[in-house]
Amino acid sequence: MKKRGMNRRDFLKLTGAGSLAAAAAGGLGGGLLTPKWVWGATPKVKGPIKIGYQTVLSGTLAGYGEFHKMGLLMALDEINAKGGIAGQKVEVEIRDSTLKPDDAIKNARYFVDSWGADFLGGIDSSGQALALAPVMAQLDRVLMVTHAATEKLTEDFVYRKGVRQIFRNCMPTYNDGNAAAFIAKDFPAVKWSTVSPKYEYGFTCWKMFQETLTRLKPGVSFVAESWAPFGTTDFRSHINTIMDAKPDGLYSTEWAGELISFLKQAKEAGLFDKVKYVMLPVGAAMDVLEGMGKDMPDNLWISGRYYFQYPNDKTNNEWVARFHKRWGHYPAYVSETAYSCVYAIKEAVEKAGSKDTKAVIAALEGMGMNSPAGHRVFRKEDHQAIYDVPWGKTKSDPKYPFKVMGGMKVIPAREYFNRPPFEGPGTMPPFK
Amino acid sequence: MQSYVHVILAGLSSGMFIWLVASGLTLIFGVLGVLNFAHGSFYMLGAYCSFTVLKYLGAGFWTGLVLGPLAVCAAGFVVERFFLRHVYRIALPYQLLLTFAFVLIFDNLVKIVWGGGALSPPSLSFLGGSVPILGRNFPVYNLFIIAVGPAVALLLWAMLEKTWYGRIIRASSSDREMAASLGVRVPALFTGVFVFGTWLGALGGGLAVPYVGLLTPGMGETIIIEAFIVAVIGGLGSLKGAFVGALVIGVITAFGTRFFPAFDMFLTFILMGGVLLWRPQGIFGTAR
Repeated sequence: MKKRGMNRRDFLKLTGAGSLAAAAAGGLGGGLLTPKWVWGATPKVKGPIKIGYQTVLSGTLAGYGEFHKMGLLMALDEINAKGGIAGQKVEVEIRDSTLKPDDAIKNARYFVDSWGADFLGGIDSSGQALALAPVMAQLDRVLMVTHAATEKLTEDFVYRKGVRQIFRNCMPTYNDGNAAAFIAKDFPAVKWSTVSPKYEYGFTCWKMFQETLTRLKPGVSFVAESWAPFGTTDFRSHINTIMDAKPDGLYSTEWAGELISFLKQAKEAGLFDKVKYVMLPVGAAMDVLEGMGKDMPDNLWISGRYYFQYPNDKTNNEWVARFHKRWGHYPAYVSETAYSCVYAIKEAVEKAGSKDTKAVIAALEGMGMNSPAGHRVFRKEDHQAIYDVPWGKTKSDPKYPFKVMGGMKVIPAREYFNRPPFEGPGTMPPFK
Repeated sequence: MQSYVHVILAGLSSGMFIWLVASGLTLIFGVLGVLNFAHGSFYMLGAYCSFTVLKYLGAGFWTGLVLGPLAVCAAGFVVERFFLRHVYRIALPYQLLLTFAFVLIFDNLVKIVWGGGALSPPSLSFLGGSVPILGRNFPVYNLFIIAVGPAVALLLWAMLEKTWYGRIIRASSSDREMAASLGVRVPALFTGVFVFGTWLGALGGGLAVPYVGLLTPGMGETIIIEAFIVAVIGGLGSLKGAFVGALVIGVITAFGTRFFPAFDMFLTFILMGGVLLWRPQGIFGTAR
């Protein structure tokens, strides 16, 4: 069996002394080498630039960590081959976040106190993000969150409590909750139900979906909810709950392997014959699309934090091609956010002319940047990146061994992202 | 009516599935006195090996189900013969540490060989699909699992109670020294029992491939906890206890998820706590 991937040793090798040569040999240099001496002449930023990145590398979700790494490594090689950040070499160390909140804090402390990280990145779980948030003010490094999606991170900690060190470049739950409601309002379905994860992420999305859909389409009702604990492999009782309630629509923020198990078991039980409108806010994740393969039912509405066929422009298409050539996979959304995380740090440091936390925060606030996922802007108030992602229906495409997103609908992020001050009238969609 | 019947069916199939894993765990504990945390890893390896046979050697599901667990038996042999054998005589915590070390080793081995991402098997052609029961579809494969559980129980019972080997195993487990002095090669016998227990775990893994529909490194860690709870409720070392425990846990969890969703995560632990207060040795356990 041929395994495409990397191990820790490859990784260290690349971040070590030989990284420039190795990356250049990898053919990733391109023609736009920034002459090192330009920055060398004004050595305001002292190198190397160290990024401590944590993601899940063990347990059932270890595949996500692998996809983070692929994106990170690409950014690292490209940037180092072109002279690094502000003329300084970039180094990354990756640690296993294990998805446990206390480990997230331990890792962050290790990165800052022992390893000497200038920046932190990663974080997969919402629970971890909320646990780490209060510590970030004390550690005083910029943390770029690339996967955890709870809106409470940016609304409560960044906006209300003023933890300015935290930024997030991935889609927050606004897409899972609010945008899903914008899509669902056009369906004839009025009775909705959910099977979702029994933790923060699942609860907050379902609440947001219900509230926004009710505002958009008064008269909808929510007839069943079934919460699957983390690690559920057998969804049959949850499927029974839904089928007993006879809803028109099913909304589910199950994700990764659990979504695959759920979809397969629901299909066996005939759920999709009974329930015609199915919304899966993270169903367009590559692990789910590839994992389901041809078994993925058609006409399920899916979205994600990034989807490799959107936007259909030069930057994205070339990136997807480079990614596929190197790793033999299409980029997962965490690959894109990990990749763009390093570029956001690069652009902010070069704009600030410094790697000091305060200066970088000031540079990142309101900063716009181009990335494979399209144009991102870091909103000044809550440090949330604003960018668009598509929704669409699963369909076959002879070019791919898995179902792709058809009939894409893009709702501009500015129309459905909650707005500061995040409470009171006019802060939640729809906006006039 | 329809919903009750389907809840019971869902409970039976998940219960029988836990039983398949708990049976090997219980057998090994009952005979060898070792609490084998790595049993979940054998389950995982069974799933991965069956899947590999099925997918990469182009063989069918049944061939995978036969060959996969057999391959895992080799791992079971190595673990018992070269490692576990040396810790029978020392304190229990060392056995736990050693078997837990194997959990980590096997998890990482799976990541190295098969990658960290989830693998998803294609749907079955035979035993795939579903049959309507009271107007709602129920997967044929789950009915098959409901049948396999009692079949394995029957096989174990017949083997232990009705055969000469069964008598030797029971004799050796109740008094190692006496059996040895009567000429039984106890170490070889224990290796045999361990490998057989491994096979049961790996068989559970092979059967999990279509049941769960997903293979992930670390998949053994979830199931081993359930199997362990079942074994404790039934009485550690009692196969009958594990069977009954698995049925009870399966059905109660299914009812809990459907009708008392707020408590579904606690029900099994409440049940375990209750049983331990009432009978610390478990329902069918004997005080040691």
